[in-house]
Amino acid sequence: MDKKMILDDGLLEQFLLGELDADENLQIEQLLVSDAELKAHYSHLEQDFERLGLDNAITPPDFVKAQLLKKITDNIKQTKEVTLESNRNSNWFLGIAASIALLLFAGSAWMYNQLNSFKQKLEIVENEKLELDNKINTLNKQLNNELALLTTITHPDTEQYILKGNTLMPEGKVISYVNHETKSVIVNTERLPELDEAHDYQMWADVEGEMINMGVISKGSILAVMSYIEHAESLNITIEPLGGSDHPTVERLVTNVYLN
Amino acid sequence: MQNENALIQQLQNKEERALSFLYDKYAGAIYSVILKMTRDEGIAQNLLQDTFMSVWEKANSYDNSKGRFYTWIFRIARNKTLNFLRKNDPLIQTDDFSVYDSKEATISKDADFLELNGAITSLEAHHKQAIELVYFKGLTHKEAHQEMDVPLGTFKSYVRQALKQLRTAYTKSISVVLLIFNVL
Repeated sequence: MDKKMILDDGLLEQFLLGELDADENLQIEQLLVSDAELKAHYSHLEQDFERLGLDNAITPPDFVKAQLLKKITDNIKQTKEVTLESNRNSNWFLGIAASIALLLFAGSAWMYNQLNSFKQKLEIVENEKLELDNKINTLNKQLNNELALLTTITHPDTEQYILKGNTLMPEGKVISYVNHETKSVIVNTERLPELDEAHDYQMWADVEGEMINMGVISKGSILAVMSYIEHAESLNITIEPLGGSDHPTVERLVTNVYLN
Repeated sequence: MQNENALIQQLQNKEERALSFLYDKYAGAIYSVILKMTRDEGIAQNLLQDTFMSVWEKANSYDNSKGRFYTWIFRIARNKTLNFLRKNDPLIQTDDFSVYDSKEATISKDADFLELNGAITSLEAHHKQAIELVYFKGLTHKEAHQEMDVPLGTFKSYVRQALKQLRTAYTKSISVVLLIFNVL
């Protein structure tokens, strides 16, 4: 397709009128870009055809323009409505999203409550464990004490003395275990009659005529550890006011035994 | 031209005001072409509206480096009208152009819209008819030469000669206008 052929065949006229097929159109378009003379010729053709059209113009009725502009305005409105509609859709999606968020929040709150409840239960369990630990410790201590007492009692060097009750305590009896090697004294109070709340039994050692305090016999336990006193000649038990006394109330001596 | 480029730019930015101005400028010429092709004012008015709706919707596909805005609208209008005629008149699909003759016979003599004006009226009859067939009746060169019953080459020569005479006439009229301006 050369310039002469285009001009002779009237291809520019046909191109202008829209008669050519897509391939031919493309070729002409490319030639118009590259060939200034052809382009100038085409521009004249366009001007002439436009002038021809304008010379023969027939004014259309006004309503055509009015309808056209109304249609365009309606289309713009519809577009806006569609946009709004899509906004509504997005609101709908937002609603779903909000519901999901609410559910998640409710779920989280429920889980938080559960967590707190578990924490409280865990705290209770921990406290109970602590209590049990304490009890075990106490029991262990008691056991250790008992074992220590048993060790003392069963020690080969331990001597056993039985303090029988006198007339103030005819049915009472205390068994004491004295070990001069380990310097320990243990008494079995199982057969001591129970005292009122205002009094305690107190034990004394007689050293060269002087009564030395060996301690108050504790209530509630069968075996009681007493203070070991050197050179004791006898063991004595008196009834004293609650908490014990500095000096024995001799009138209330309930039992005694001489040591070997 | 500068103003028209600005208007086209505004049209491409979807400003209704620009469409209104461009409609005022070109609707008459386009309506005339559609009316001469369809020979029915109601149909032509619908097609004119349809054409300018496409101008509004497809404004961004117009490229001023490829041609004038009027040429672009003219092609849209021509295609729409031909599509309408093909769809609604099976006789045209069979290339039987006698339909025009039969229709012309029924159209009132008062149908002023078929009259041509301006420089084209001063052309010789066969030159005038050649332009009328391809420009105002939407026929292709191949259809038109059959319609005029002359060889295709001869028909192309008619078109070329007619356009040459039109160019001379338009150049003269511009010269006259320039002369009047100079005298004034």
